[in-house]
Amino acid sequence: MSDADTLSKLSRINDKYQMFNDFCRDGELGDAKFLFSVKDNLTSAEYETCAGSRILEGYRPVFDATCIAKLKAEGGKLIGKANMDEFGFGTFSTNSGFGIPRNPFDLSRSCGGSSGGSACAAAVIDDHISLGVSTGGSICCPASFCGTYGIVPSYGRVSRYGLIDYGNSLDKIGILAMDPKQMTKYLPVIAGKDKEDPTSCVQPELKITHKKMKSVAVPREAVEGIAKDVLDAFNKALEDLRSMGIDVEYVDMPELKYAMPAYYILATSEASTNLARYVGMRYGQQEGDLTLGFDDYFTSFRTQYFGDEAKRRILLGTYTRMEGFRDRYYAKALQVRMVVIDAYKKVFADHDAVLTPTMPFVSPKFDDISRMTPVESYKADFLTVPPNLAGTPHLNCPCGYNADGMPIGMQFVTDHWNEDQLLTMAEEWDKQFEIRKAEVSL
Amino acid sequence: MKIGLEIHVQLPTKSKMFCSCPTTDAPAPNTHVCPTCLGMPGSRPVLNREVLVCGIKLAKMLGCTIADEIWFSRKTYFYPDMSKSVQITQYDHPIGTGGVVYLNGKPIRITRIHLEEDPGKTKRTGDMHALVDYNRSGIPLAEIVTEPDLSTPAEARAFLAQLIQDIKHTLDLENGERSIRCDCNISVGKERCEIKNVTGLKNVETALTYEMVRQIKVLKAGGKIERATMNFDESRGVTYGARKKEFEADYGYIDEPDLGIFHIKALADSITIKEAPAKMITRMADQYGIDQKMAKQLVSTSTDLAQFFETVSKQYGTENAIKWVAGPVTAHWKALESRNGGTDEVLAVIGKFASGEINDTECGIEIKCAMTGESAENAQESSAGLETLINEYLDANPKVIEDYGKGNVKAANSVIGYVKKNTGSQYSSSEVVETAKKLIESRL
Repeated sequence: MSDADTLSKLSRINDKYQMFNDFCRDGELGDAKFLFSVKDNLTSAEYETCAGSRILEGYRPVFDATCIAKLKAEGGKLIGKANMDEFGFGTFSTNSGFGIPRNPFDLSRSCGGSSGGSACAAAVIDDHISLGVSTGGSICCPASFCGTYGIVPSYGRVSRYGLIDYGNSLDKIGILAMDPKQMTKYLPVIAGKDKEDPTSCVQPELKITHKKMKSVAVPREAVEGIAKDVLDAFNKALEDLRSMGIDVEYVDMPELKYAMPAYYILATSEASTNLARYVGMRYGQQEGDLTLGFDDYFTSFRTQYFGDEAKRRILLGTYTRMEGFRDRYYAKALQVRMVVIDAYKKVFADHDAVLTPTMPFVSPKFDDISRMTPVESYKADFLTVPPNLAGTPHLNCPCGYNADGMPIGMQFVTDHWNEDQLLTMAEEWDKQFEIRKAEVSL
Repeated sequence: MKIGLEIHVQLPTKSKMFCSCPTTDAPAPNTHVCPTCLGMPGSRPVLNREVLVCGIKLAKMLGCTIADEIWFSRKTYFYPDMSKSVQITQYDHPIGTGGVVYLNGKPIRITRIHLEEDPGKTKRTGDMHALVDYNRSGIPLAEIVTEPDLSTPAEARAFLAQLIQDIKHTLDLENGERSIRCDCNISVGKERCEIKNVTGLKNVETALTYEMVRQIKVLKAGGKIERATMNFDESRGVTYGARKKEFEADYGYIDEPDLGIFHIKALADSITIKEAPAKMITRMADQYGIDQKMAKQLVSTSTDLAQFFETVSKQYGTENAIKWVAGPVTAHWKALESRNGGTDEVLAVIGKFASGEINDTECGIEIKCAMTGESAENAQESSAGLETLINEYLDANPKVIEDYGKGNVKAANSVIGYVKKNTGSQYSSSEVVETAKKLIESRL
């Protein structure tokens, strides 16, 4: 296929699924060894970068994120900036300021979020990898809803230089792809110490030794409140794992239920400080009433250009770090994070991984999403939040399809820095699992 | 009356606190900037280790306990010159706590010293316009907080002057002026007011005095002092209440997640600092039984001179150190410095005197030669010439001798004008006074 054909096909795919904010419309692909896309909260000098927010509309960064620069150095061509929930705030990619990406298996359903555009791109573009970012489940959720693999490495494994922050102590850059071998190939490329991000400089080297998993632990708490179609597929997957020679054992992890409140306190506390810089005077959207004093200008500008969910999280996060509440919420949440990490460590003493379904249900229809309260949609993340809070690496594997043909995923969690066993697991699973590719009709 | 100060000192690092932009004077506004100090999305801070070194030195200078591990916090507030609307500072675990500094023997307690980044600068260009320059954004600062141990505005000024001297000495700042800004807390009665952002010694005293008078007036009129944040108007020399909003700020501190924890014990243990001038004065007065004034004269002329005093004292006794170092050596010190000369020769001369090889007069002349580089004949001649001139003056003004005898040591200074009139700048003032004292004392 010629460059022009490839790009025109890309344009038609995007018209249908709306997975990109900005993408390669013309020009040459040159001698690119591979094509990749990234979530729109990774800064790129050649495309607009908005992180799904109107407040950054028109923003063209002056530098490439480290992970983008590394893939380019490897011969990759960045073809698009994937749509997302504003600043990563959401589970369904419905909180974007620039349209909503559509699920490739059913256009009336969500791609998941917040890396919805990335999952969609990985699902519908041939041989594609897309970089996503996970703060509380933003890679595994859309991977599960769109039927792709998705890996979230340990916190600190991939440099966050060039990542537009949501919660700095939680944000992790990972990869979504239909072929797990692609993840094994490119995770070592984007991983590694980067002096521009001090938190990346404490990691041990990422070595791929293809170490197989021997035993996984399923927390009893994780299979409560799960939709029947998901649970059926999950139980079938457990049988398949046993037949692959892997021990599956149920365990108790009562600490998991504390992860959700602690996560939302830490994530929103950090987010509310990160979003303070968007006041309409240095970059991005600048259209505001300049006759106002700076305080009133900032307020009116932020009122106009932040979406509802961004405002909600700013309010929540500002509240939890206020004098008088800080110790009760923020400081307490920091302690809970240590409790959750300890709970994982205890299980990892006897098991290679913790296994759960990824999401409690298959991708919902947009109509149903619009009827959900904020707390109901936060709760949908109860299985993806714990490993994110703990900073432990985790993986979504497609493990089945329901009667409507919607994909179902399971989530493996391993100990810090042990991405090797996750990547190996994905490849082993892929050998025996019949993955379905969404039919992309144009 | 109680006064406490919060002092912001720019630290003399080559690059900014969290990026590699230079800290030197910029050719134009917004030229020493990068994505990090402009707070662009996706940028992040990387700590300049030199900032820790400066912070540890100052913490040691203030006699603070240095934390084994420190971290940074985010202080959130909205202002155009704060590029991230978040200032990276220290809240929970400052670099140093619980120090003490002596001001003329009086202990002034230091609550804490912490590190933080400077914001940019806002410049008003009209009623409806202001411009922002981010060159200063990210310059490292140390904030030193004292307990309310200062009793008068004049004492606050003296403390600040001494502190600046000590900081310059500790951080090897020759003439590199670094800006020092001050928040001044003062209470005449029970409740305190804070005057924000006062620059310069004189302004600190003026602002505190104005605020002191204001509070006294309020209390005398039967009023009550309300806790408040004040601003200082430099041109009018008055304080005025800040908007209510400003002192009700809740900065919502959280940990800075991008920087992590720094274990600084090993670094702190490896750093030794030069003795601060103020400490040196107190110690020398104590150790050598000299009065505070003489110790101060030595140290403020030069800490090298003070060290030379110690060397002489050690080798030839404190008596000789007082006689020669606090006398003629001090008088000729500037001359020695301007020639970049060393003290070895001077030490040898004093050695000769101590062993009885040369007498008083010879020693005086030889010290002068060694320090100014004059030939012995010249020195002898000019010294004789100076003595003749002074004797002429004393003969004509016996009251000077009388006054001096009564304890007015300053009377000797009146000779300076006479000598200068006759010889121009041939003799330094200190040399004239030194010689005059010697001659007056011989006549008493």
